[in-house]
Amino acid sequence: MPYHQFKCSECIPERLKHAVDKGAGEELTDALPLGYLNTIPGTISERGCAYCGAKHVIGTPMKDAIHLSHGPVGCTYDTWQTKRYISDTGCFQLKYTFASDMKEAHVVFGAEKMLKKNIVEAFKAFPNIKRMTIYQTCASALIGDDINAIAEEVMSELPDVKIFVCNSPGFAGPSQSGGHHKINLAWLTQMVGTVEPKIYSKYVINYVGEYNIQGDQEIMKDYFHRMGIQILSSFTGNGRFDDLCGMHRAQLNVLECARSAEYICDELRARYGIPRMDIDGFGFEALSDSLLKIGYFFGIEDRARAIIAEETARWKPELDWYAARLKGIKVCLWPGGSKLWHWAHSIHKEMGVEVVSVYTKFGHQGDMEKGISRCESGALAIDDPNELEALEAMYSLKPDIIFTGKRPGEVAKKIRIPYLNAHAYHNGPYKGYEGWVRFARDIYNAVYSPIHKLSFIDISKDEIPADKGFATQQTYSDAGLPDAVKNDENLRKCTSKYDPIPDLREKTYSFPDPDTEKWRVIPNEELSRKNSGTE
Amino acid sequence: MDKNTATEKMKQLEWYITKHCLWQYNSRGWDREIQNERILKKTKQILCGENARDDDSYADRYYWSEAITLVEAFKKYFPWVEEMTKEEIAAVMHLLKEKMDYTMIKGSLNLELTKEKY
Ligand code: SF4
Repeated sequence: MPYHQFKCSECIPERLKHAVDKGAGEELTDALPLGYLNTIPGTISERGCAYCGAKHVIGTPMKDAIHLSHGPVGCTYDTWQTKRYISDTGCFQLKYTFASDMKEAHVVFGAEKMLKKNIVEAFKAFPNIKRMTIYQTCASALIGDDINAIAEEVMSELPDVKIFVCNSPGFAGPSQSGGHHKINLAWLTQMVGTVEPKIYSKYVINYVGEYNIQGDQEIMKDYFHRMGIQILSSFTGNGRFDDLCGMHRAQLNVLECARSAEYICDELRARYGIPRMDIDGFGFEALSDSLLKIGYFFGIEDRARAIIAEETARWKPELDWYAARLKGIKVCLWPGGSKLWHWAHSIHKEMGVEVVSVYTKFGHQGDMEKGISRCESGALAIDDPNELEALEAMYSLKPDIIFTGKRPGEVAKKIRIPYLNAHAYHNGPYKGYEGWVRFARDIYNAVYSPIHKLSFIDISKDEIPADKGFATQQTYSDAGLPDAVKNDENLRKCTSKYDPIPDLREKTYSFPDPDTEKWRVIPNEELSRKNSGTE
Repeated sequence: MDKNTATEKMKQLEWYITKHCLWQYNSRGWDREIQNERILKKTKQILCGENARDDDSYADRYYWSEAITLVEAFKKYFPWVEEMTKEEIAAVMHLLKEKMDYTMIKGSLNLELTKEKY
């Protein structure tokens, strides 16, 4: 697994050890890219800052709190609405963002008074909301404002409110990952244990490292609830502030994105003895294995098996319709930190695509270990690439599609490579059996898009073919398919609704009583959906 | 079973873990040691038909549920697992544990493994 020398980075020798080619028969012990290091001067990293990691990635998906940044308005604006972490109570956390709006005068004279005024103002503007998270930024950290002291003052004056303070300014780590670490530990230390949650099921988990992108959490919640499992808290997608204060009462932490949330699981294990179970919510097989082992933990594996059988029978024919048409498609799997390993093997095995490169923006070496292990040999693995390296990789690898964030995605489009948004999704959710089919459909639609094909014609010089008529995705995808596959009645296109989430919110579920073990229906309100104050 | 056959079988099991499991990647070396030790030991015990439960603590239930899921997958992917004797299973699992310890800990190039705290 030799290091990969990008031509464009020959002038930055430190970059060499950040990329490797996975050779046949080579092992992780032969070479591993460096990771989670400070940005090298001269290379333009595309990573977010530590404040962004704390606030945007982890803090703000919480649905029933005012999320206020203590700093210039730019910090909060740039970390607003770029990820669709929806909630089942009206998406307050997406509609509004709050900043104390620091200016030069505050840098000179201090911004504490102004912060206090803004906190009170925000609570007055939204009288139904009694919870707040406050984020330090570079500016407020550098002038040394004591945010915790201000929060304490406000809480003593307004006894019905609760405020969490996260001191993770932009410079507090090499990337947003530094912020994940800080807010994980800050939440654990300041908040966990301050609320005693109501336990209504014999089986209780925290669902951690899950951000409800376009409903991911809700699609997984449906499976857990069908198994009779109470989700005590969701860290943090679609999660409630007070539920997250009661995390210490779970029996198991089910962890999805280890990159952003392993720290709180590790500490909950060390301090409260709650085991950490890493799972994959993506991919039929990986998800089935995950549900099964959660089932085994509680002794309800039969319930897991029933769900696996039902969902597989419902959705597999649709996944296979796309798999037949995606075989051999070349993919650069270039997400932020965890999807390189969540997806690498499952998309190859279940959709037949070839992963020609994996990269991570802010991942650590542990993420690369997982990503490289799960992709096939021949793939190029890159840590924190700059834009020129990504371009060089695309020109040499010639992928059919890139799964990445919107900044590098727009660059890919300029060189006529379609991209799917790996962070905020195109037409998600992508988790769950249904979600995985939606993902396959999005890949299919992007790769075979007639508009994309047209983009290769340069109308200033190319001949416009007059003999070709209207084309659809299927015109292209089925051109070389054998008739047996084309006419296979067992396969069908995606039948998922435009938005499958609202129906899930109307479902009712039964849970076994923790003492009597008698199964009974728990009303929706108690499942922490229709809590007050967030509409 | 000779050493080459055992190694060949071990590699197949290792391939499965590499592509499907996440438990071996905890971020610290000492943590990985515990994961490998507990989960692979229980896996071996279940495969050999021995008792794999130490107690009813959440921790033990966790390691056991990883192990039993792994055993199910091993049986599905590699039917030869069910044809081996207990001694053969023990030999292959011993090699697997050694290999996992080397790849994930002793030979790992991950510089974060030696950090003490999470
Ligand atoms: S680096 Fe500092 S100034 Fe820039 S967005 Fe992050 S917190 Fe704000």
